[in-house]
Amino acid sequence: MEQIVSKFKETHPNIDVKVELTPNKQYWSKMETAAAGDQLPDVFWMNGPRIVKFAANGQLLPISDQIKADKVDMSNYPEALVKLYTVNGKNYGIPKDYDTIGLWYNKKMFDEAGVKYPDESWDWNALLDAAKKLTNPAKGVWGIAAALDSQGVYYNMIPQNGGYVISDDKKTSGYDKPEAIEALKFWTDLITVYKVSPTQAQMTDTEPMQLFTSGKVAMYFDGSWDAIEYSKNEYTKDKVNVAVWPQGKKRAAVIHGLANVIAAKTKHPKEAWEFVKFLGSKEAADIQAKTGTVIPAYKGTESAWVNSMPNFNLKAFIDMVAYSVPYPVSKDTSKWTTVETEQFTKAWSGQIKIEDAAKEVAKQMNGFLAQEQ
Amino acid sequence: MDKRRYRYDKNELFWAYLMIAPTMLGLALFYVWPVLQTFFYTFTKWGAFNNYQLTGFDNYKHLLTDQNLLKAFRNTFLFIALSVPISIFLSIVVAVLLNQKVRGLSVYRTIYYLPVVTMPAAIAMVWKWLYNADYGLINYLLSLVHIRGPQWLTDPRIAMYSVIVVAIWSSIGSNMIIFLSGLQGISSTYYEAASIDGASPLRKFWMITLPLLTPTVFFVAVVSLIGGFQVFDLIFMMVVGSSAGTATTPAIDTTQTVVYLFYRYAFMLNNKGYAATVAMVLFVIILAVTYVQMKLQKNGFTTNRRLVGWLLALMAPGAGRRHYSFTSF
Amino acid sequence: MVVPFVWMVLTSLKTLGDSTQVPPVIIPRKWNWSNYAEVIAALPFLKFYWNTIVTTAAKTAGQLLLCSMAAYAFARFRFPGRHFLFIVALSVLMVPGQVFLIPQYMIMKHLGWLNSLLALIVPGLFSAFGTFLLRQFFMTLPKELEEAAKMDGCNPFGVFWKIMLPQARSGLIALGIFVILWSWNDLMWPMIVINSPDKMPLSVGLASLQGEHTTNYPILMAGSLLAIWPLIVIYILFQRHFIEGIAFTGSK
Repeated sequence: MEQIVSKFKETHPNIDVKVELTPNKQYWSKMETAAAGDQLPDVFWMNGPRIVKFAANGQLLPISDQIKADKVDMSNYPEALVKLYTVNGKNYGIPKDYDTIGLWYNKKMFDEAGVKYPDESWDWNALLDAAKKLTNPAKGVWGIAAALDSQGVYYNMIPQNGGYVISDDKKTSGYDKPEAIEALKFWTDLITVYKVSPTQAQMTDTEPMQLFTSGKVAMYFDGSWDAIEYSKNEYTKDKVNVAVWPQGKKRAAVIHGLANVIAAKTKHPKEAWEFVKFLGSKEAADIQAKTGTVIPAYKGTESAWVNSMPNFNLKAFIDMVAYSVPYPVSKDTSKWTTVETEQFTKAWSGQIKIEDAAKEVAKQMNGFLAQEQ
Repeated sequence: MDKRRYRYDKNELFWAYLMIAPTMLGLALFYVWPVLQTFFYTFTKWGAFNNYQLTGFDNYKHLLTDQNLLKAFRNTFLFIALSVPISIFLSIVVAVLLNQKVRGLSVYRTIYYLPVVTMPAAIAMVWKWLYNADYGLINYLLSLVHIRGPQWLTDPRIAMYSVIVVAIWSSIGSNMIIFLSGLQGISSTYYEAASIDGASPLRKFWMITLPLLTPTVFFVAVVSLIGGFQVFDLIFMMVVGSSAGTATTPAIDTTQTVVYLFYRYAFMLNNKGYAATVAMVLFVIILAVTYVQMKLQKNGFTTNRRLVGWLLALMAPGAGRRHYSFTSF
Repeated sequence: MVVPFVWMVLTSLKTLGDSTQVPPVIIPRKWNWSNYAEVIAALPFLKFYWNTIVTTAAKTAGQLLLCSMAAYAFARFRFPGRHFLFIVALSVLMVPGQVFLIPQYMIMKHLGWLNSLLALIVPGLFSAFGTFLLRQFFMTLPKELEEAAKMDGCNPFGVFWKIMLPQARSGLIALGIFVILWSWNDLMWPMIVINSPDKMPLSVGLASLQGEHTTNYPILMAGSLLAIWPLIVIYILFQRHFIEGIAFTGSK
């Protein structure tokens, strides 16, 4: 980020940019608080679940006119992402990056258990088989971490099983459909029936990622954004690799990405736009790609990212874009994701049946969606 | 008291108003007005980014069907019912032991008091680490005697008790100091007389120490009780995690407390109207508790002691129990 | 009692690998100071110290001054509305803090003080508790000296400033200690009003450290120690005052 800013300052000496980093996990709640308190920074990152809420409530500056005036070619970015950041026909952001989810695995543990590494050919059953073979209660190691993770897990599995989280017209929830329930059940069974994953309680005590990076868990689904973390970590840098999502009834993978947006109340709309435009440029994307943090959204710059960490098969993340599905959002996404997490926490820890949890989520979610209309 | 019309001294009046003005205006703006405002908010529903509209009694109706609130009250009561008496009991024991002419008294006192000056967030973190099921010290020590330790903080049946242990641990220090000063106020002649009668130390404790310490016990109990209603920091940092708007711990149902729920509704889910209603319920309950205690203790103590007791109680951190604490006064 | 503290220090000096060994490594195999460096690199801890110290100092000084003035007026002067105003101040104490929070947040928003140290300091300058505590204290002081000063033609504020305050030293210290403790360790209010790292006090900084390094305990323990040592040092240096302060409120 600092490199990009200094590059920007080279060409725009009269614009001063102050970068403020917020710890990742608090970023979104901070932005919500900031928006509520009229404290938004001039330019900031926006994500899918919040874009409609922010845009529809007048927090963001529409940039369609600027895009037209400065002839910014939006076809340089993945269509799904441009669409995600278009609300009521107006553009609100320029895509910055995108991410997909891959199956990270520990080669050392696979070798020791004599299991073949995951590849394109894997399906859910292969995943389950491998997880069983890799689990060794005596040594305290598990085949897989069946994390309670929407984007990381079930937003992928539900479409893989032919279901959906939210219908295309954003009016109905797909959680009470048999396809969705079956996918969720496959996943929670890993904990409760096959016992090839740590329990939800254990994964709360010690994060799944940490279990994975300390060699306690052989497989873990994680996003392209953590590749850099694995390449820096002493233990994982030469022991792990990544493969595409195993297929269910069909192939599918959820895609999401951030966009740079401008606060509606900014005091410097012109300068902010110049900066956003620069952030969306190929130049900025190239810098981003080389640092390896995320996959840049600008078409053609991905390869620099893939090559940034030759230890890992990062191409898997790019391959999945071909059959990717959009990240499920609605106007007030957080309303139903709250219920989702609440109910699924209970199901993951075996306090209620996953079928009941899914149906309850669908019921409440349909209620929220009806209010949004 | 002089019942006749008092002639105020003009000069004194001027200074009096000048001296109370900053505090009174500040209190009015930041404390009195907000109470009215919160009451008003209980009739509102909040949309995105702090827009709100009037909704009549909807929030109150929701109170009656809110399963989470019911659970939160149940958890809060459990927390109080265990942490308050046990902490008081242990503090008295420690205070009585330290009241002997022990060597290195100040060292012990320092040690017991350390948790009181330590940031609750830090206390929560180190205990979370001690309690960690896989790598924590506690389960390791248990494993030495061939016990497989539980998931202290994530097992719904155990988590609350684990938090209570920490609450007790961190409150013993300040309670002990108060008891110690209470003990030092007891004249030694009682003990000398009892010794002549050949009373055992335990008997002396029951017959002399405890009865004479009762006012102090009462004071600490009030402080702890009302403080207990506001327990937040420990739960927030140890159990429900500090990042996401929705906790993914299986123990959430059995550990969420009223104030945690308030915080979640108000500042995580932006449901400030309902959060205000929850705050008012808490207010009413604390008033009721206060009233009952005043009735019970009507003749026991001087007004001042009782008042200060309440004050400190409401301030919770007052006796150093800052982990229940709340806002900045 | 001290085990948690010892464990905190030991863990903060371990590598992540050492900290997750089973059976645990009790004494770090290699004294690893890099956790501290990493914490300071990850978060602007120096800023956190500064914010905490400024907030704490301002609140303590402000409360001592404002509360003692009001307390003295309530204790010694007669003026219309005294009883009423005192009851108002007292009743503030009957209300749990949560009831103030949302409106206080909205006031900060309207004043444009969100995300600034003003939001941390200003509401904390006024205290019904401090006023009451000091009033009680002033009531116990003898009036002779004041009378004498008044005879000498000193104005009421002069009497308060020159005669009363010095006598009230131990009461002021007791209140000061409480304000320091609460201010230094307060979590919820700063968490609500502050959202950028360069305005955060230590407590919120620590919470965000936990948000980032959820279960990387060596890092978390290093951060915790950085956040708590100043108060522990102050406590050990001024132990007598702390103890007397606590005992004082317990006995009044």
